[in-house]
Amino acid sequence: MASPISWHATLAVSLGLLLAGCASVTPERAFEASAAAAQARTGVDARLLRSDADRQALQAEIDTLLQAPLTQDAAVRIAALNHPGLQATYWEAGIAQADVAQAARLRNPGFGFSRMDGGGNRETERSVSIDLAGLLTMPLRQRMAARRLDETTLRVAAAIEHHVNATRRAWIEAVAARQALTYARQVADAADASSALMARMTQAGNASALDLARESAFHAEAGAGVLRADREANAAREHLTRQLGLWGKQALYKLPERLPDLPAAPAELAGIERTALSQRLDVQAARAAASGTAADLGLTRTTRFVNVLDLGYADKRETGEPKSDGYEIGLELPLFDWGGARVARAEAVYMQSLGQVAAVAVNARSEARAGYLGYRASYDVARHYRDQVIPLRKQIADETLLRYNGMLASPFELLADAREQAGAVHATIEALKDFWLAQVDLETAIGMRLPAPSPTDKKDTPQ
Amino acid sequence: MTNRRSFLTGAGAGITALGASLVSRAGAASLPEAPTHTSSATAAPLAPTGGRPYNPVVTLNGWTLPWRMKDGVKEFHLVAEPVVREFAPGMQANLWGYNGQSPGPTIEVVEGDRVRIFVTNRLPEHTSVHWHGQLLPCGMDGVTGLTQPGIQPGKTFVYEFVARHAGTFMYHPHADEMQQMAMGMMGFWVTHPKNPRQHAVDRDYVMLLSSYDIEPGSYTPRTNTMLDFNLWTINSRVFPGLDPMVARLGDKVRIRVGNLTMTNHPIHLHGHRFEVAGTDGGWVPKSARWPEVTTDVAVGQMRAIEFVADAPGDWAFHCHKSHHTMNAMGHDVPTLIGVDHQGVAEKINKLVPGYMVMGDKGGSMGDMKMPLPANTLPMMSGDGPFGNLEMGGMFTVLKVREGLKRGDYGDPGWYRHPAGTVAREWTGDGAEALPPAPRAPDARPAPAPAGQAMDARKPGAKDMTGHEHH
Repeated sequence: MASPISWHATLAVSLGLLLAGCASVTPERAFEASAAAAQARTGVDARLLRSDADRQALQAEIDTLLQAPLTQDAAVRIAALNHPGLQATYWEAGIAQADVAQAARLRNPGFGFSRMDGGGNRETERSVSIDLAGLLTMPLRQRMAARRLDETTLRVAAAIEHHVNATRRAWIEAVAARQALTYARQVADAADASSALMARMTQAGNASALDLARESAFHAEAGAGVLRADREANAAREHLTRQLGLWGKQALYKLPERLPDLPAAPAELAGIERTALSQRLDVQAARAAASGTAADLGLTRTTRFVNVLDLGYADKRETGEPKSDGYEIGLELPLFDWGGARVARAEAVYMQSLGQVAAVAVNARSEARAGYLGYRASYDVARHYRDQVIPLRKQIADETLLRYNGMLASPFELLADAREQAGAVHATIEALKDFWLAQVDLETAIGMRLPAPSPTDKKDTPQ
Repeated sequence: MTNRRSFLTGAGAGITALGASLVSRAGAASLPEAPTHTSSATAAPLAPTGGRPYNPVVTLNGWTLPWRMKDGVKEFHLVAEPVVREFAPGMQANLWGYNGQSPGPTIEVVEGDRVRIFVTNRLPEHTSVHWHGQLLPCGMDGVTGLTQPGIQPGKTFVYEFVARHAGTFMYHPHADEMQQMAMGMMGFWVTHPKNPRQHAVDRDYVMLLSSYDIEPGSYTPRTNTMLDFNLWTINSRVFPGLDPMVARLGDKVRIRVGNLTMTNHPIHLHGHRFEVAGTDGGWVPKSARWPEVTTDVAVGQMRAIEFVADAPGDWAFHCHKSHHTMNAMGHDVPTLIGVDHQGVAEKINKLVPGYMVMGDKGGSMGDMKMPLPANTLPMMSGDGPFGNLEMGGMFTVLKVREGLKRGDYGDPGWYRHPAGTVAREWTGDGAEALPPAPRAPDARPAPAPAGQAMDARKPGAKDMTGHEHH
């Protein structure tokens, strides 16, 4: 009786060891795939923090970065490494990786031994049990776990990309709000100088209480403007702080005084829709899900391919552009030879997944176009402010000062002009902020960073 | 500089040919030349080349229109046209005028002369010429719509009448008058007496007063301004762009002033007493004249004052409205006299780099040379032997000197005062004590702003360097 048991046991143990060797349980390996995908899209290196040593090294790195005013790239780096929520997400890859490893293992064999003494009889029973069902379903479980790992890899990469882009936006908002506060203070200073001068004039008997009340009222309102701008700057900064995952002393980081200047020229992008379809993680995830569905349903005999973008929507043709479907820009998935049992359900499930890919792809293409148009339009607005409005404001200021020199204009006119200048500067900051936000939107929509400005632009883009 | 341009050659030929055809019987060939004048300096008096003799006048910063005698008729040719007039060095104005200048050239004739004046219109709208104060046939009075149709652009009209009585007159459009006079269309007219010894003087200056509203930094008058003009001119010039009037000690001098602004001008002469010897109506009988140092010239009026230049020196001659002796100024600038700028100035300077406190001690800018808008004159300026004259607008100087030549109108330079005849700073010389300065009864000191020294001295030129360079 003993020999068959020991044969079975040997088989089970050796099989278990064999399978266990196939799947690693190192979480880094899974995460590295996510990090690489995110790096390609955002230019940011994400890192898994495994030990206290890792964490200490990171804190030291952050401290170094925070010594200078926080640039956008530094902010993004800190966010990708330091944000606790993001770090938690990184471990999902590890979990999925472990699941794959687990799926490749059988439950440990069971050994039983019992001995019963009583009434002069002794009964001894020995047993060895192995998970036969587990053994039979192992390939399926492995495949599903591997798919979940792929999905998780994409999801973690998407999470990094999302967080990075949100951090870029938060940084732009925070710096712009800070700059707006500076100019709100300038308006208030001009109003302050006006009302102080009017107070002195009233003191000297040269102006009336009405004159003074008018100037003071304006000053008071300008003060409210500063309070509002201050609140907005604080809120924007806190939002950025949350994105960075900073607290305590590190939350006292310095921000640059101004947004980066407008590039000399906007980025010229060709084939943005193609880029979006090949780069965007949501498109990739939808496609992977459809393929997975096919595999789950055991669909193998492909009859033809279908371009999911042609499902229910005719491709746009643009004059002078090559027809924009086909392999390069299209998204093709196989169509199967339906037959046999349970066909109807399998077909429905698969066709549903095709529809979902098409929906994601159509949105991606539209978002890419909208993102690019928005980017170009906001560039034009910001350039208009830089090249037209601000030089004119400067000229007005110069001319007003010349008139003051000739006693043709009063100091109050100088100060009123200073206030109006601040208004134009405020609008310019808004336009510049909108441009940088539009750039992030465009990068999000096409799933990659824009090429760096050409070398001649570098003087305009200190950041 | 006067030059003569032929109306039948050059760029003007087309317009002239068209205009000349309207001169009907006279024919194109008989249209006299239209001399033009390109300088704003005072031209020498134009001695008569024919006809009855007379003593020519001097148009301050202006000139007299040459004429030709044709069959016993004095023929003149006026061309109404856009001109650029220098108000003073550093400022040009786009005006309308006659024969290259505003005001137009002075027309000089003799009592009893038959006069024929061709008027060519090179303006973009119709015009006419009214011979202000002349006794003439009604149809020659130049009132558009009332006595004649307007002279359309490109057309030439002819006026003809006898200068019936001696006196001082003006000419100006009576068509779209408001715009055309705001643009500087006007001229002087003198009818000399038949007997050149009658009313004879040694020097006879003529001038028209006009006013303009030219925004600092611009060139063309705002023709819709009714009262708030910023440039008050003598012959479309402002001080320091006005030449001095020169007289030899003991000369009998006449100054004829016509007012074509929209307000009155109390004309004041320093160092002399004068009599109003003539109006637009003619000569004032000797028995009706009384001595004055200021005479008011009302709107549309003419006054001829006479005096003996018996006091050597440089004597101010000006409208006594103080804002008429200023160039463009900011009428809405609040008074800053006595306003303490401590602290406030720094605040303003932070916002407006280059800002400098002005006006807190008064309006004087002293010798500050501040950068101004383009084509703008300093509000008050003019370099004299003792510093800045702080004048502008309707201001010039009568320079009386011994031993000048009869026809010498050149600037003799600044007066050299005999020793001990110039006001000076009292420095407590000798044992003489300063006499007491009694105060008005119940006088209270004006409140001085805290922390402000009552130091009214002008800032020295050295202090200004920083400001000049921005």
